[in-house]
This record gives sequence, C-alpha cells and structure tokens, in this order.
Amino acid sequence: MTTSPSEAPAEAPAEEDTTEAASPLADLANEIAGSIAGTAEVNFETAKVRVDPDRWVEALTAARDEHGLLFFSWLSAVDWRNEVAVGDKLTSEVEERYELLAAVSDLTEGRLVIYSTNLDRDKPTIASLTAVYPGANWHEREAAEMFGIDFLGHPQLEKLYLPEGFLGNPLRKSFPLLSREVKPWPGMVDVEGMPGQADEEEPAAEDAEA
Amino acid sequence: MTVTDQDLVRHLSEAAVSIELQTPEMTLNIGPQHPSTHGVLRLVAQVDGERTHNVQPVIGYMHRGYEKLAEVRNYAQITTLINRIDWVSGYANEVPFIVATEKLMQLEVPERAQYIRLILTEMARISSHLVFMASYPLELGAATPLFFALRDRERVLDLLESVTGGRFHPNFNRIGGVKPNAGAGSTQRKVSQDLPKTFLGETKAAMDKVLESADEIEDLVAGNEIILARTKGIGVIPSDVAASFGLSGPNLRASGVNFDLRKVSDYLPYSKFEFNVPVGENGDCWDRWYLRLLEIRESARIIQQAVDSIPSGPLQAKVPKIFKVPKGEVYVRAENPKGEMGYYIVSDGGLGPYRVKIRSASFSNISILPWLLEGAIIPDIIAVMGSLDFVLGDVDR
Repeated sequence: MTTSPSEAPAEAPAEEDTTEAASPLADLANEIAGSIAGTAEVNFETAKVRVDPDRWVEALTAARDEHGLLFFSWLSAVDWRNEVAVGDKLTSEVEERYELLAAVSDLTEGRLVIYSTNLDRDKPTIASLTAVYPGANWHEREAAEMFGIDFLGHPQLEKLYLPEGFLGNPLRKSFPLLSREVKPWPGMVDVEGMPGQADEEEPAAEDAEA
Repeated sequence: MTVTDQDLVRHLSEAAVSIELQTPEMTLNIGPQHPSTHGVLRLVAQVDGERTHNVQPVIGYMHRGYEKLAEVRNYAQITTLINRIDWVSGYANEVPFIVATEKLMQLEVPERAQYIRLILTEMARISSHLVFMASYPLELGAATPLFFALRDRERVLDLLESVTGGRFHPNFNRIGGVKPNAGAGSTQRKVSQDLPKTFLGETKAAMDKVLESADEIEDLVAGNEIILARTKGIGVIPSDVAASFGLSGPNLRASGVNFDLRKVSDYLPYSKFEFNVPVGENGDCWDRWYLRLLEIRESARIIQQAVDSIPSGPLQAKVPKIFKVPKGEVYVRAENPKGEMGYYIVSDGGLGPYRVKIRSASFSNISILPWLLEGAIIPDIIAVMGSLDFVLGDVDR
C-alpha cells in the first residue's frame, strides 16, 4: 500500500482514543456490557461491546429481547495478524486472533451497537446466531468462506460467493492478492501528468483500477 | 391475482379431468440471466405444481472482492471502487465512506460542500427510485411507465453530470469536501471553482418536472387493475421479520416501521429541512412500489429547500496532499436509496485502511427471499423479487 508520495507525508495528529463522554449511546453500551460481563467503548460515535465467545449467543439474544436492538445490520470479522501478505503491516505487534463483529441497532433512535468477540487464530469456531437473527445466515456464510470461521449450528454453511471447491479464505491477511503479485502498483502509469502540467495537477492516483 | 389451491382444483374439475393428477416435485432454475434481475442472479426453486418451496438464491456472479481490494489502496482511491457497488445510485455509495474517513480525521467539512453532497445524494435517490418505477411495472408486463420514468431520470442524471462529470460513477467526493474544480468534461483547470452557474436554477426547474411526472406515473400505474391485482397482498413481510432479516430502507418502511437514518443521524445536514418519512401499512409488493413513489416527492422537496438555502463558502476543508488517517475504528451508515449502507473502517494510522467492511443494503434485502417465497406460486416469484428493488452489484460487492 505504497503510492510513493512525491512529498513528505504530513504529520498525522497523534491522537489517543479516549472513550467519549456520556451520551445515550455510551449509556446503552455500558448497560449492555454490565449485564454480560463485557467491556464497552465508544469512539467516533461507534459503540463496541466486547464479550466472551462463550456468551456470544446469550449476548445477542439479550440485545434483541432486553435492549430493543431488533435490527440486524451486519456480521463480519477482522483478521489481526503481525505478518500480512497484502496491504501494510500493523505498526505495533498485536495478539493474533480473529475478531468477530456483529452490528445490531434499534429502530427508533438509531443507536447501533457492535458486538465483538475474539476467536482462536488457528481454529476459529463460534456458535451460530441464525436462531436469534435469521438475517445472520448469509453474513455467517460469507464470514465462513472469507475467513474460515466455523459457525456451529448453522443450517447451511455452504459457499456463498465463491464457487464450490475454492481453496483458501480470501479475506485472511495471509491470502495474497494475485493482481498485486503480478504488478505491484498498476496505477503507477496514471500518476504521470500531462507535459507541463505535472507540477500543477494533483496526483490522479484515485483513478487506478486493479 | 392470488390463485388458491381451491381455485386450481375447481378449474381442473370443471375441465373434466378424469385422470388422477401426479405432481412430482421438480427443480426449476431461474437465471442466472433474467430480465427481472439487475445483474446476474440465479434462483433454484423446488416446485410442486404451481407452488414453490425451498427457493435458494445463488449469488456471487458479480463478486469483485472490494473489501480485499480496499486493503491495498489509500482512502482517496477507494471511492473509485465503491462507486461501483450500487451503480444505480453510485453517488450515494461514496458518502458514508467519506464521512467515516472524515470522522476518523476529525475534519470539519464546509457547509456548502455538505449541502452539495446532500443535493446530489437526493438526486441519486430520485434516479434510483425512478429506475424502480420503470422496471417494476415492466417486470409485471406494463411497458409504458418505463418511458415516463426514464425520461425524468435523464433530467436528473444530466444535472448530476453537469456537476460531477459522471452519470453513473461521479467519484466526486474528496476527503474534506467535494471536488473543488467542479465541472464536466474539462481537461483544463477551471477558472470557476464552484458549481456550474446555471446549476441551482436548473435543479429547481427539474424538480418541478419530477414532481409533475411523479403524478403522471401515479396516474398511470396506481389505477391499473392488473398491477394492483398482481401486487396487493402479495409478498407480505411483517415488520418484526423484516427487522430480524436486516431489511432496511423502503423495504423496511413498507412493512410499517418508521425508521429513516436521515432523521436519526447527522451524516448530512438533513435536520435543517422539512420532509416526511412515508411508511407503508401492509408490507406487500404494492406498498413497496408506492412508498418509493412517495419518497421521490419528498426527495424533490428536500432538494428544492436545499437549493434555496445553500450557503456560500469553500468546497474543501484544508487537507494535506498526502494524509494519514489516525488509528481507530469507525462505523458510519447512511440512508441510501436501497437501504442502510455503511462502512466499518479499521485504521492503523497508515495511508490506507487495515480492513474495510462494506455493509450493503441489497445483500440483506434479498437474504429474505427463501423465507418470502416459501409456498408462493410461480408467477409471484418475479413480482416478489422485483419489489425488493435490489441491484446485484450491491448484493455481491
């Protein structure tokens, strides 16, 4: 993920995330975390509640029945790795794991809470949410093929996007992006400006398609 | 018209069929290419006579792996990709991503830029809904509304093009504002750094036309007995089922849920304008069509108010040429024409994101199909499927 900038990168403001002051969303997140022995944080108006993987289904059932989070928005994962085959490496070492995320929301004030749990880096397994939110069905199928997560009790854990028999899990950080192996940065040709305009124009790198 | 089993039995007995009917179950394959799918979708249904059960959508024909591609791009480059998720409303796709990035960078976006975003987003909604106004009756056999709706969509797309240079893929948002040298087809740097001079006036006039033709389309379709018979009471989705499947946008509101992200969230300054959120009663195919017609009117009203009150000022916040986005995780969602579209961005402080999760509306919207088509009759498959207004690019990403 390098675009060889023509000038020195501007200093990004060094900023530490601090949990934002009390708001209705933070109150809800703290209440949920308290009832399920998890931890809550609200950053950039995004509420996240970390729960234990053993209490995943219990936590989401309570979200639906007790906290009024009736709307199932999405489910996905993040592959936290120190060695990556694509993109930039993380700047600091992390504990390698899959972070499973499920976002649910109410249908009145628009408060959305993202539930998060950590799965084993070598054998990620978790109970399925399909009995709680039927909408989780396809999202879990996607996470299963893209990250190799096993959802126990899922009624139909078949491939969703990928053809049957596809090997590998494309959204894992260890899965290489072939187009980038062949040609490291295909957009490079587009960056060259017209003669005489090179200094005036902004880099047009955003027009690059892989 | 709903055909009940009794109707079928009566029909057959009247026809004096004396042989004993055998109806072994068979597999019916629809697609991957079918006129009623905007993109490439396949349905595999088990049919017993006229009744279907276990309908399985087969998706993935258009999967382009944008989440993976986003990991090897910087933030500004990703807008080019996400334009192509829901190509019927390409502009609207960009907004939540850009807003999410700005949130991470804690940028203040100039008010004029926000108003321009809002106007263009509502134009994208009108053009997306007009495609639905056109295509849904067509799927049910009525070709005429197509010409009315697409004529008006062209007016809106012309305006979009005059500002952004693109009809389908504007790629017009920049982090911190909108593209400063607005204007179509220019290879030279424009002297004017703002909207085309005639844009605001033309927009107002075009919205009057859109409101007029919304009435025309309503006259044309809402009084058509065949369309009413084929859509009323068909494909009913109760509100709790809709929510648990993650249906959003017009599909959710048609089921009677009064929930619109434009009212409850501040990704664009919608709170400054007066508009209603139409809500359906029955959650059937007809409600889903009619509600979108009402939304066209509301969007036109929003645009007219925004044109009247648009402040002057810069189009861009001060942003370094090469920027890094601070560490953090953010989720921003927006009320897009098809429903909730959101981006969950994990930034590690670099030039590009560590992970982007794209929440697209159509993906969740059509995941209800197996539930919805259980026990439906074959002609209703098209009526029900079409009423969900999905785009396969938005399903497959």
